[in-house]
Amino acid sequence: MRTSVAEAPPTPSAFPREIPIQYGTAILVLVLVVAPLLPVLLQSLLDGALYEDSYTFTLGNFAKLARTDGFGQVLINSVVLAGLTTLVAQGIGTLAAILFGRTDLPLARLMGELFLWPLYLSALVLSFGWYAVYGPAGYFTQIWDSLLGEAPWTLYSLGGMAVIAGVSQAPLAYIYCLSSATITDPSLEEAARVSGSGTFRTLWRITLPLMKPAIAYSAVLNFTVGLELLSIPLIFGDPAGITVLTTFLFNNGISSPRPDHGLVATAAALMLVVVCFLVWLQGRMLGNTRRFITLGGKASRPRPFRLGVLRWPLFILAALYILAAVIAPLAVLVLRAFTSFLSPMIPLGEVLTLANFVTIFDYPVYARSVWNSLIVSIVGGALATALVGLIAVIVHRSEFRFRGALSYLALFPRAVPGVVAGIGFFYAFALVPGLGSLRNSIWILVIAFTMRFIPAGIGAVAPMLLQVSHDLDRAARVQGADWWTTSRSIMLPLMRPALVGCFTILFISFFKEYATAIFLFAPGSEVIGTTLLQLWVQGEVGLVAALATIQVAVIALCIAAVRGIFGVKLHG
Amino acid sequence: MAELVIEGLTKRFGGVTAVDDVSLHVADGEFVTLLGPSGCGKSTTLAAVAGLDRADGGRITVGDRVYFDAARGIYLPPEARSCGLVFQSYALWPHMTVFDNVVFPLTLRKVSAADRRRRVMEVLELVEMAPYAARYPHELSGGQQQRVALARTLVYHPAILLLDEPLSNLDAKLRDRARAWLAELRTRLHLTTIYVTHDQIEALSLSDRIVVMNGGRIAQIGTPQDIYERPADPFVADFIGTTNFLPARVAGASAGRAQLELDDGQRLEVVAARPAEVGSRVTIAFRPEQMHVAPPGPADAAGSVLNTRVTSRSYVGGNWQVGLDLAGAVLRLETRQPPPEDVLRLWLPHAGGILFRGVADAAA
Repeated sequence: MRTSVAEAPPTPSAFPREIPIQYGTAILVLVLVVAPLLPVLLQSLLDGALYEDSYTFTLGNFAKLARTDGFGQVLINSVVLAGLTTLVAQGIGTLAAILFGRTDLPLARLMGELFLWPLYLSALVLSFGWYAVYGPAGYFTQIWDSLLGEAPWTLYSLGGMAVIAGVSQAPLAYIYCLSSATITDPSLEEAARVSGSGTFRTLWRITLPLMKPAIAYSAVLNFTVGLELLSIPLIFGDPAGITVLTTFLFNNGISSPRPDHGLVATAAALMLVVVCFLVWLQGRMLGNTRRFITLGGKASRPRPFRLGVLRWPLFILAALYILAAVIAPLAVLVLRAFTSFLSPMIPLGEVLTLANFVTIFDYPVYARSVWNSLIVSIVGGALATALVGLIAVIVHRSEFRFRGALSYLALFPRAVPGVVAGIGFFYAFALVPGLGSLRNSIWILVIAFTMRFIPAGIGAVAPMLLQVSHDLDRAARVQGADWWTTSRSIMLPLMRPALVGCFTILFISFFKEYATAIFLFAPGSEVIGTTLLQLWVQGEVGLVAALATIQVAVIALCIAAVRGIFGVKLHG
Repeated sequence: MAELVIEGLTKRFGGVTAVDDVSLHVADGEFVTLLGPSGCGKSTTLAAVAGLDRADGGRITVGDRVYFDAARGIYLPPEARSCGLVFQSYALWPHMTVFDNVVFPLTLRKVSAADRRRRVMEVLELVEMAPYAARYPHELSGGQQQRVALARTLVYHPAILLLDEPLSNLDAKLRDRARAWLAELRTRLHLTTIYVTHDQIEALSLSDRIVVMNGGRIAQIGTPQDIYERPADPFVADFIGTTNFLPARVAGASAGRAQLELDDGQRLEVVAARPAEVGSRVTIAFRPEQMHVAPPGPADAAGSVLNTRVTSRSYVGGNWQVGLDLAGAVLRLETRQPPPEDVLRLWLPHAGGILFRGVADAAA
């Protein structure tokens, strides 16, 4: 085989294909991200409604908001709730990370798994669960009442809400602390132990300080999530007259018959600015965290600490927590779904029924919300996954001139609370003519959810992409494949596991999302989240439980399937 | 037809000039090696030829095609260049079989299915990998992966072949075999080839010409014999395996010979092509195999004998490696006989040593 005559490279297409693809994607992301933000910011500076014919620019809305009765209290409530939530979440999460991740606690792995469950559930479902167990007529409350007299707690308070929110967010702190603990050089702890430091002394003096960056980072993260929380304040705060920023936006923007758009947009803009700052802070801290913890860099799992005589007492404590905070709310919620009335005073056999589920599927409105949720999550999740894959390949594997800007833009929705995105898309679709048909369909939800969860998707895809050697795509390019062919036949197949993980995360996120949806849904485009809230307002506790059970079951099924078939890890 | 011309190639990364005004002319069918330590700019030069990096200045042409011309703003993307590049990591696509890896460039070129199959099997035959066509890369050894990587570049008859340290990921034994195999293949293919390595043995045994690079510049271009026997400066001498450098002063010069005085007063005589100025500082370099232990008695006519101090001795199987101190300079010598423990009488030839002006700091 003598090859002195060189073959021509494949004839390049007349027009480089990467240009429309890369610019198209960038413009799409730009529109997605800017569409909800621009109207909110604009509306906050106008004296009239955005859709009216004439208006003037003004700062009056800010003054008006400041003068609004009780708005100061709203701000204080928001900060207190987010602060308490963070405290609870960090305390529990850090403790759990040490106990389940670093000690010889019995069944530590299993409990670690159970501990993560709230992460996969919407705070809305979790709230219903807590209500069913610890609410005024809750299962456990009734037992307590009958045995010990009136229960000394109430969920209808800032403290009560913070406990529910804290439990639902503790997994975030847990994950960050755990990953910090597993990549810390174990020799640091070994050294302390060898030099005669006891278990608890080592934990306190070495392990915990090493987790500090992770604790600090997840604390800011949890504070941000705490500020954005809508469901818990809506369910437990509103009846008790405790208003926070999100419920303020909800009540004035949606429930009010004559919404003051200037006021709502201004409050939303204010929230946007605060959350932007917090997300910026997270970014800075993450940079520091990385610098701090990659020092040891070895993935070897350190030897677990011996708890000695405290092993079993601590196990009982941990098991009680899992039972009380994770299993009981879920179990009672599911049980409630299958009963007509649930009380410890009445034998279970007398109340068991499938009536709740029958009702759900008999009424088109309720049934439709289930199907809508499934379609939004499956089709929307797939579309969003495709977009995320494209963004990731452009940002990390192309010479696109604006890839830095695209990366920033694609991660920006982290800084947009769901409530603000909902209001923003609501304005955007009301303003742009010709979008009327979209506005009353589930596709507006797909668009809004996609925008909301692009960063989560990228978080699932980017680390994998960074591990793929650049030589693999360079080799294809040198052999004559243009950027798009390389991306399609080399990069995307290599990213398959990451894309499956991305789809799963987006599916779950879309399926449990409600905060954005309640501003956007219309008759015909209800999803589970919005129907849950409506049923709750109507007091249909049984139907709420049944619908929530359906949501939990679908998510559980999805996670089990992905883990079983693909072995994809969804966190860590 | 496919000659490669590089003119004034310059590439900067931030404030660092990785490739500094490199010009090189590779004839059609010539095998040229870029040799140098890591960071000398050899891989950057290769990446610029392949189009993976866009250079900052200069011009690259292959045959009558301009790959890159900074002055005219021409830059062909890698896919339009028709280079064959074998990566150090092989870069086989893990999700494709050997056959699918090799057929990929032919599919891109819209070769008919029957031709594709024939050509893939032909090239796999050539690299002796035909029985492994259905395997996945992770099921192959390093040496086999390397052959597949080579097959994948040869299958589409590239205009030039670029090899980026293709042997460096193999273990020592395999590397020797692969080198011999590559040398044989090279004579059969007669492809214009740029080979990048930091291993002087690969460079010497495979190349028509060697380009020694240092700090982004070309230190010397020449045939393996040129480079080995007549290195242009101490850096090249050192890199090509001449490890013994003696600083000295020219004490006298006559008819193509120079008398050198070392710092401790000992003298030796060398053949000097260019007359050295009496009194000037010079460095004389010897390769290990040029020096040996002097037999008892006075020096013969072909060389000088000097007293050296033994600083280390180690038995390496068959031979002894001896570290010597001569007037403050460190020398390394291989000898069959067990060396003495204190003073060793060293024989240095008059001819064959290489004389450089000044004190060689590159040798350090």
